[in-house]
Amino acid sequence: MVEINLNRRQFLKLTGAAAATLAVVELGFNEKEVHASTKEFKIAKSTVTPTICCYCGVGCGILVHTKDDTVVYTEGDPDNPINEGKLCSKGTTLRQLYTSEKRLTKPLYRAPGSDKWEEKSWDWMYDTIAKRVKETRDKTFVHKEDGMIVNKTETIASLGGAALDNEETYLLAKLMRGLGVTYIEHQARI
Amino acid sequence: MATEYVKYVDVTKCDGCRACMVACKNWNDLPAEPQDFLGTMQSHANVTADTWNVLTFVEHENSKGNLDYLFRHSSCFHCTDAACEKVCPENAISYTDKGMVVVDQDTCVGCGYCVQNCPFDVIQLKNYKDENGKEYRKAHKCTMCTDRLDEGLQPACVTTCHTGAMEFGEKDDIIRKAEKRVNEIKERYPNAMVYNPQGVGGTHTIYVLAEKPSVYGLPENPKVPTSAVLWKDYAQPIGKAMVGGVAMALAGAFVANKFFDKKNGGHEEDGGGNRE
Repeated sequence: MVEINLNRRQFLKLTGAAAATLAVVELGFNEKEVHASTKEFKIAKSTVTPTICCYCGVGCGILVHTKDDTVVYTEGDPDNPINEGKLCSKGTTLRQLYTSEKRLTKPLYRAPGSDKWEEKSWDWMYDTIAKRVKETRDKTFVHKEDGMIVNKTETIASLGGAALDNEETYLLAKLMRGLGVTYIEHQARI
Repeated sequence: MATEYVKYVDVTKCDGCRACMVACKNWNDLPAEPQDFLGTMQSHANVTADTWNVLTFVEHENSKGNLDYLFRHSSCFHCTDAACEKVCPENAISYTDKGMVVVDQDTCVGCGYCVQNCPFDVIQLKNYKDENGKEYRKAHKCTMCTDRLDEGLQPACVTTCHTGAMEFGEKDDIIRKAEKRVNEIKERYPNAMVYNPQGVGGTHTIYVLAEKPSVYGLPENPKVPTSAVLWKDYAQPIGKAMVGGVAMALAGAFVANKFFDKKNGGHEEDGGGNRE
């Protein structure tokens, strides 16, 4: 057994040192807390932009969180009276419209009879579409049927999508009626 | 503990749209896990390390001989007395101030004890490879979006649920609500009950089930394994106390030793050694 001979000052120093040791060993750092506070909240500094879901005719409101030129999160817009912050499984995946590797970034063209897609520029696409619509319409336009003026083009059909907003569908319908198209349909009937 | 919060799941309001599954992946940035067709509407057989909640579809013949198509949002129950927390040798699993059970990914060593002991089978391991090609594993499960809770938001699955089958709130309120709801649906579902098993001290995901738990593949009375209790509440603290005792003795000896050396050199000047 070691005999410990201490005066008061030494005793105080010793207890102080022991307390300090304890403090460092037991209480000083909570590693978990330090780690937790350094990890930033996912949507802390994101820019929030409201949009409308493009998938069906319901037209749910969605908030898009963007940060560093990419979409970090999308969620139902709680202020939107249509969905009140809720979304279905499809609308919830909206982020992938932008982030998916399978996303098309250039228009693809498949020639009649071909089995290959080829990349084309937007200008080429617009020109070709306009040219062919004009060609088809002029070739098959029916002015009179059974003595009645009908002014219709039955060889063209139009299928709208839910991604179109109110104004776009108005313009689309107007253009199609102008061409004499009678088959005008919309995907968002569901 | 601050106020306890729980997730409320009323399966009778669920329409099986699976938005909760997608919302979970969306918030937690979890990759998709394409699966083969399982012969039912169910997309995944069970919860996995990358799919923290799964919507289960059960075809059940009820007491009247009719078909009941039962849906259930299945994810971690966040037990008050969690077996995973008990068995974790690294203390990587802990409780948050709101009562949620979370895994610290930095501390987890992937031993898999939690996976073996979870009464609900909702925690799973994921394989990783480090830059040297060495494989290691980590346990993953639902966190109840603890990061969202800390910012005052609700869990992602709850916010997206369009039928109101899921809610998030204070524990007492939710239990009252669940009991009220069970009374409302008793006529249609005579076996309806609140699932908040006491064998694990109650859970932080409280269900209103339309049928007996066994119909949903849930244990009727889940328990924390006795071996786990012995390990965590007795063996581990005693072992730690011993390690701590040794550490303190070493530290004490080191400090005392320093003083002895000093005393040998400077005892005379200090003076008044044993005055009292």
